[in-house]
Amino acid sequence: MTAVRTSHSAIALLDPSADNWKLAILVGIAATILAVLALPANATFWVVGAAVALVAAAFVVNAYRKRYYGGLLVAPAIAVLFVMNIFPLLWSLGLSFFAYQSNQQSIRFVGLNNYIKVLTNDIAAPANWDALINTGMFVVCTVAAQMITGFLLAMLFAKQFPLRKYLLILVLTPMMLSVVASGVFFTYYFDPTFGILSYAMGEITGQQFILMDNKAGAVTGIVFADAWMWSPFVMLLVLAGLVSVPKYLYEAAAIDRVSKWRQFWTITFPYIRGLLMLALLFRTIEAFKLYDLVYILIRGGQDTKTIAYLIAEIANEQNKTSEGAALSYVILFMVIVLTNLYLYLANRRNQGA
Amino acid sequence: MPPSANIALSLTGVSKSYGRVRALEDLSFDVTEGKFFVLFGPSSVGKTTALRTIAGLVRPEKGSVHIFGRDKTDAEIAGRGVSMVFQSFALYPHLTVYDNFAYPLVEEKVSREEIDRRVRETAAMLKLDKKIDRKPNTLSGGEQQRVALGRSLIRRPKILLLDEPLTNLDAKLRHDMRAELKRLHRQFGLTIVYATPDELEALSMGEEIAVMRDGGVVQVGTPDELYEKPRDTYVAGKIGSPHMNMIRGKTTRDSKAVESGIGLLPLARKMAGVVAGEETLLGVRPSDIRFAAKGEKGVAASIAMLEPLGDVTVVSVEAGGETLRMVLPESAAASLQPGQAAYIYLDPQKFHIFRASNGQALS
Repeated sequence: MTAVRTSHSAIALLDPSADNWKLAILVGIAATILAVLALPANATFWVVGAAVALVAAAFVVNAYRKRYYGGLLVAPAIAVLFVMNIFPLLWSLGLSFFAYQSNQQSIRFVGLNNYIKVLTNDIAAPANWDALINTGMFVVCTVAAQMITGFLLAMLFAKQFPLRKYLLILVLTPMMLSVVASGVFFTYYFDPTFGILSYAMGEITGQQFILMDNKAGAVTGIVFADAWMWSPFVMLLVLAGLVSVPKYLYEAAAIDRVSKWRQFWTITFPYIRGLLMLALLFRTIEAFKLYDLVYILIRGGQDTKTIAYLIAEIANEQNKTSEGAALSYVILFMVIVLTNLYLYLANRRNQGA
Repeated sequence: MPPSANIALSLTGVSKSYGRVRALEDLSFDVTEGKFFVLFGPSSVGKTTALRTIAGLVRPEKGSVHIFGRDKTDAEIAGRGVSMVFQSFALYPHLTVYDNFAYPLVEEKVSREEIDRRVRETAAMLKLDKKIDRKPNTLSGGEQQRVALGRSLIRRPKILLLDEPLTNLDAKLRHDMRAELKRLHRQFGLTIVYATPDELEALSMGEEIAVMRDGGVVQVGTPDELYEKPRDTYVAGKIGSPHMNMIRGKTTRDSKAVESGIGLLPLARKMAGVVAGEETLLGVRPSDIRFAAKGEKGVAASIAMLEPLGDVTVVSVEAGGETLRMVLPESAAASLQPGQAAYIYLDPQKFHIFRASNGQALS
């Protein structure tokens, strides 16, 4: 039995049919090795690309011949995912182990040197640690602001009142705007000369008011803009929880003469707790990537550079591609650790309760 | 009417509509303290709305609600001394049985020891002491029902409202819970208002029954009164199983008999209000029909269908174009065959005469 199968697969391996994906992989690996050894780097890139395309084509033909249409139908999605997500991810992971600058031709393997540099180098590391602390501060402030505002909005919109539908659309609009659009909007809002905020404060205090002229003001402005955009997201999630509470529970509680406060904690809150946790998770991950508003509102001034801002600066403006990649992976690692810790705690709590 | 001292609950001319749907229409009834009072009627007749009005969850548009002589029509829910068990039980899903019981007490500034004592006492009374740390969704339907009951009873309400509490239970449990409810009623001397569409529940538990139709009360009475003297064909059709036979006819000129498809049916006594030659419906209960004895003048009929129900058999007979049902002891019906001819005797003492035009009883 074993012998038969071996001989069968040996024949099949060398069979040059269009659906022989094993052969395609072999050919691809061989071509890649040859190209790396013999061809210049930019030609190698296209050879590797062709090898990947060959393997993919073999898989598709194989799936078609075996009538595995489910796999065939998701193939385009997988292809896009591969090209847009997985490939850049692996590419940048590879780059982080090389010394490479996007404005230079040379490339050299340096192992973990980039990582050591971004974490411990006397010149680079302090800036990184500062940016990381800034990011932590933004995560705490923006997520707290969004959670509280979103929750309160949800409590408001859970009730019926005149014009509720139209107000709801209005409140949800910021979430659908481009970050750039709302960022530009807030630059006008906070503008020292024509901005309505400076104007109003000037009228009240009689002095010129510039929100962004110190760190606290700049952070407040950024947190405000971010909360304005993303509180509706938290609100939507919480609202979904609020409408899922059966109404008769409140009626029963009213007959049991239970105060509104206890009704909230014993009836409402258990229904929205899971969704609040979810909102917290989503917004925390997102807040770690805060870059756009910092860039648009203040260009990283007043010591507001976040880690994402720093990565963009290192990789795009200073052309230190591999160093930026290394820093990105440090952050990715931290976010993964944090979210898993969070999920572990959330699950344990659910089981305990 | 002046509220007398022992009237626990009194509804007067209560009306309520939801949009274009009239839920309650001039609903009035009184419940004496300590009574097991049943609101009986088919679904969507307004029973639930009536209970919710009493509890204060619904504000009526017209009419008033008096509880122990005080006008509570617009009062807060909290001050009414009324407790309610919902059809859906409405248990708090995230609290244990213990906490569901304790829930209404915590608000009353009762001490912890007292709460604990009462919770355990209630749990023991409802045989839930072993389930006290469970969440409601891990309990069976009957247990959930008992938790809902216990939660309503624990703060000793003066009036307990039960909204179709047995509808969600299976047949065996219903039987047990009926007995259980009666026992609780007796034990606590509670005034209970119980809404149900089930005739058996209404008759077996109700000390007084209000038969409802279209948001109003048609007739209030003890089970016997409703059975013996239904006010109209609606009540006659709702109370008693199998349902009352209705025979179309016309009173004779001397008003002493009814001329019908199955022949001349003489009345036992002259009935007041019977107009000669009027279209009537003559109602006779299945238990008041029997086979004619030898020498007795019976109505010729043929047996159409037999429905054995264990100790009794429902026999459908056809006579003169009418299908009549009669209830016979199983032994008497054992030898019968469909198609067989028979003479039946309708007991004139037990006739109910209704005016055909509006269904009102004539007596």
